[in-house]
Amino acid sequence: MTQEEPKKPEKKSFWQNMKEVLYGMASHDMSRYALRTRASMEHLFILITMGDMIGIPILPPYYSLRLLPYVVPQISTWKRRLLREKDVSDAMF
Amino acid sequence: MNTLWIVVLAVVVIYLAYNFYAKQIDKNVIQSDAKKATPAKMYMDGVDFMPTSRNVLYGYHFKSIAAAGPIVGPITAANIWGWAPALAWLLIGVSFIGWVSDYSAIMVAVRNDGNSLSAVSHKLISPRTRPILFTFIFFYLMLVAGAFMGIMSALLAARADVPLGIIMLGVMGFLAGQMLYKWKMDLILVTAIVVVVTLAAMMLGPFRAVNAEGKLDLTQGPVSSAVIAFNNAINKISGDQAVMVVTDPTNADPRIPAPGADGKRPSTAVYNADTGEIKTMPSYLFWALFLLVFSYLAATLPIWRFAQPVNYIGFWVTLLTIGLSALGAVLAPFIKPAIGAFALEPLKTWGFAYEATKAWQPLWPMLFVTIACGSISGWHALIGSIGTARQLEYETDGLPVGGGAMFTENTLALLALVAVSIVGTGGGAGRFAAGVGNLLSVLFGDKFLVFGTALGFGAFMVIVLTVTQLVFRVMRVTLSEWAGDVFPALKNMHVSTVVSMFLTILLVLTGTWVYLWQLFGAANQLMAALSLLIVTVWLREQKKNPSFALWPTLFMYITTLAATLVTARNLYVTIVPRGGSAAAGAWAMIIIAVLLFVTALIIGWDGYKAYQRYGKGAQAKRAPAAADD
Repeated sequence: MTQEEPKKPEKKSFWQNMKEVLYGMASHDMSRYALRTRASMEHLFILITMGDMIGIPILPPYYSLRLLPYVVPQISTWKRRLLREKDVSDAMF
Repeated sequence: MNTLWIVVLAVVVIYLAYNFYAKQIDKNVIQSDAKKATPAKMYMDGVDFMPTSRNVLYGYHFKSIAAAGPIVGPITAANIWGWAPALAWLLIGVSFIGWVSDYSAIMVAVRNDGNSLSAVSHKLISPRTRPILFTFIFFYLMLVAGAFMGIMSALLAARADVPLGIIMLGVMGFLAGQMLYKWKMDLILVTAIVVVVTLAAMMLGPFRAVNAEGKLDLTQGPVSSAVIAFNNAINKISGDQAVMVVTDPTNADPRIPAPGADGKRPSTAVYNADTGEIKTMPSYLFWALFLLVFSYLAATLPIWRFAQPVNYIGFWVTLLTIGLSALGAVLAPFIKPAIGAFALEPLKTWGFAYEATKAWQPLWPMLFVTIACGSISGWHALIGSIGTARQLEYETDGLPVGGGAMFTENTLALLALVAVSIVGTGGGAGRFAAGVGNLLSVLFGDKFLVFGTALGFGAFMVIVLTVTQLVFRVMRVTLSEWAGDVFPALKNMHVSTVVSMFLTILLVLTGTWVYLWQLFGAANQLMAALSLLIVTVWLREQKKNPSFALWPTLFMYITTLAATLVTARNLYVTIVPRGGSAAAGAWAMIIIAVLLFVTALIIGWDGYKAYQRYGKGAQAKRAPAAADD
């Protein structure tokens, strides 16, 4: 495990804390689902554009090169999500 | 005894347990360290693994774990044994077992790269634990859905002031999804519209349904009388005859009325007090079908379209109702001492008297499965290890998030106990609703009693329904993954949803709701025991003192196995001899009980062997290094 210095927790007012708790109860789940949907779309995008990486030229190289700058920042998270071991319980919630 | 004492007792016990026990375990045994990188940081993918503020995570975890369990459990238990055993188990259970389960499940996942409990058990205990755990989880979910469906169908069929609010909840759910995601309207405006309309619909149920004596008469109000006329029209399909007749020897079915002043239960349109028979009328089946359609939409439509907005509206309805009721409970002894006083007996029975042909409800082990979620719950461990653990920003947030949410849920259970204890009479959800009505009338005056009660029913339904729809969604996914390879048709989400619902409704139609509830409670507590077992084995492997998890594991494991056997015995002795469809349902439940028992035994045995193995210095097989840059 990597070691890192924790950031000094920022002081929050009572109302700020309450706001965060309420957000967590009411909307955090919705935000996560929206993020998950976006991630699925991005994965699809990467799958198409990165075909060249594994030797399958799905798109003509010209378009692949044009799209590459948008794809590169996502590659590490894409790898993590795709290669992480999953089971049924991951699909549950 | 009055409500203030419960509040004082709860505050003191929770304060002591959190500060002088939980914090010590966190500091000295688990040794949570803010400097250690959590999986949320190590594997951040912006979606599942995402460092999140502990306040947000606390709210998220609490919302995920709070369901009908902490409300229905204490009410049912207080009804069977009295309020004192229920109170004792709620406070002792949460202090020594409940928070341990929630917190440690999260921490085990955090220390194991954010893996789920099933993945950790695969690594720590044995490979076969994982598929066995999934089998266990599917039947557990079926029992949850069955227990919740039973109580909701009975409520909708029996209370004419409830359906409008629930129908409107569904309509507003669709509308909220459309307004938020398609029309891109402002969240606050959407919230204001849909929550106000839903609350108004819930309170419209008893509108003008008050007779000259000031008492509720549902045949009078325009909304409630229309619902009654509708139910009567449906019942005419069978010529006002029951579709099936069932009996509940424990008298805990939501359709059985509470005893009157003379101690006898009155007969109603669906209950014959002389024979003990409960009639399953076509209207009951109609409302069960309505709930299935509601849940089907939630399970199969894109989650933003229906399930999520319904949950969102439900959250606000519940928060407002429960929050104001809690305020009422605190103020009741000062403003309305008559309401604040307990009307229910502290101890009705120990329940140990045994009669060969009658239902047996001994305090041990049955109390400990009847009250599940308010004290300890396996559901929490499942959600905590999969959802919450992967978002923990600092290890030191584990206790306030996991333990804190569990203690908060305990206060919800205590509120339910307070609500039922001050009302004294009534059945199931009715007691909770009447209690909420009384507590709200402390704040808003006596005229608000019927509306407060309607809100109590509405909030109860919302809590149960939002969980049920989620459970069907999870069942659908689990069934597809679990049996999809053997039966390819199950990979189709509509097929898997319908199959899940069909299996569930079979259990509901047995008419023995209390056994379904207790079997669900036993499965839930067994799940908790198994998660505690995984924690214990992990502590042993890590060479840490496992006592704080080991003793709760042993207690919950033995208790819930015993409770499963007692429930199976009750089903066999009291329902099977009656024959018919109820007997078929009883056999189905007995088979599930045996299945749960056997799977728990196998996991327990494997866990014991693993515990011994690590005691001799063995090391767990390390997972392959996570793929990274």
